[in-house]
Amino acid sequence: MEPRMAKYLHMKGRKLGLPIGGTFELTPRCNFNCKMCYVHLTEEEQKKRGRELTTEEWLTIGKEAKDAGMVFLLLTGGEPALRPDFPELFHKLKEMGLMVSINSNGLLLEGKLLELFREDPPTRINISLYGTSNETYERQCGVPAYDRVIRNIRALREAGIDVKVNMSVTPANRQDMQSVYETARELQIHTQATPYMFPPIRLHPDMCGQNFRMDAEEAGRLQAQYDFFRCTREQFLLRIQALQDRVSPDAHSEEECGDVVGEGVHCRAGITTFWIDWDGKMLPCGQMVEPAVDVLQLGFAEAWRQTKANVAEIRLPPECIKCDIKEICHACAAMCYCETGSFCGKPEYICRMKQSYINAMMQYWQTEYGGEL
Amino acid sequence: MKIKREFVLREIAGDILLVPTGKTALDLNGMLTLNGVGADIWKMLPEVENEDEIVRRLLEEYEADPKQVKHDVGEFLNKFRELGIL
Repeated sequence: MEPRMAKYLHMKGRKLGLPIGGTFELTPRCNFNCKMCYVHLTEEEQKKRGRELTTEEWLTIGKEAKDAGMVFLLLTGGEPALRPDFPELFHKLKEMGLMVSINSNGLLLEGKLLELFREDPPTRINISLYGTSNETYERQCGVPAYDRVIRNIRALREAGIDVKVNMSVTPANRQDMQSVYETARELQIHTQATPYMFPPIRLHPDMCGQNFRMDAEEAGRLQAQYDFFRCTREQFLLRIQALQDRVSPDAHSEEECGDVVGEGVHCRAGITTFWIDWDGKMLPCGQMVEPAVDVLQLGFAEAWRQTKANVAEIRLPPECIKCDIKEICHACAAMCYCETGSFCGKPEYICRMKQSYINAMMQYWQTEYGGEL
Repeated sequence: MKIKREFVLREIAGDILLVPTGKTALDLNGMLTLNGVGADIWKMLPEVENEDEIVRRLLEEYEADPKQVKHDVGEFLNKFRELGIL
């Protein structure tokens, strides 16, 4: 569960228009090469497209964002630990009085960096765990990194650092979904698996509606399978009841993101949260290509003001308003845009995936638990 | 009085937060919130010798029952001792 204080600050921020949470995408470079990634560029490609912000530029933006009300900061990439100034950035941003979390693939979180975290821990490290064998890693990420990643996760846990595991489920690692969950459970680490892969339109505008991913029906079935093995019978029944009542089974889940469908954006993007990409553009969320504004040119406060104004103009698909499963679906503005090229385009992939999820859940309930519907 | 842990005091839209920094974030993975008087006490801590000095200073600033102030300050400081902050 998200801490109550964080929820409260976001509620207050919503009313007052404060940027309570931010993400700094420090680099698009990565030591993995996942086919479904929406950010990754090689160093050569990155240099052709633009310039990464300097240490000083990130620290200035951090200070301005803090002065505007930012409390929670997520450092992400690419792989943020690839930047030689990563320890310095992390330390100085945290010293400002920010609750700093990190997204990482875990490969470099060892040696000096682990020692640093022992003395100066982040609020949380979210690690993408792509499978439970070197072979799966090779297929999924192009690097046989499992042994090293899991060793680093264990060491972080032993150091008392809060770790969360995220799994992106694709055709290359789907067979490891259950073993990832079980491995994380053994280590008493919270996990979240998602078979929904956003089309990587930030990298390839022509990939709208496409990615290296399962078809929508299969993605829905995998989501149900994940619920089946992570829930007790009682928890599963609660989800079934929520689905029958056409309300979200995730209403009390970990983090609010990509929330409800309606006329305008209902999640926190551009309302109490923002994302700054590696070359200094502010976006409401990292999956969007627009509305983008230049933070270096405008300064943080003006960039935030413009982002809020731009997000207030966004309208989601009118079809979704009347849809029977809209509360279950969680189709967000970024999904609509990535699937259709427009915020008001109906994201058919999501509709099919969610319908398949509901059907598969009902089937598990009947066949595995002998439940009645 | 010696504060054993590292925090940054932040004010966000009228709320006063103590955000842990350095190693404190390992033992206390979350923020603390203070009310206005709590923030006054927090700011005094490095300058005062003991509990009585806090009470005396608060009574210079607020019109309140000295017994009640002494009781509340004691409770406040005990909470901080429980959390290993003092």
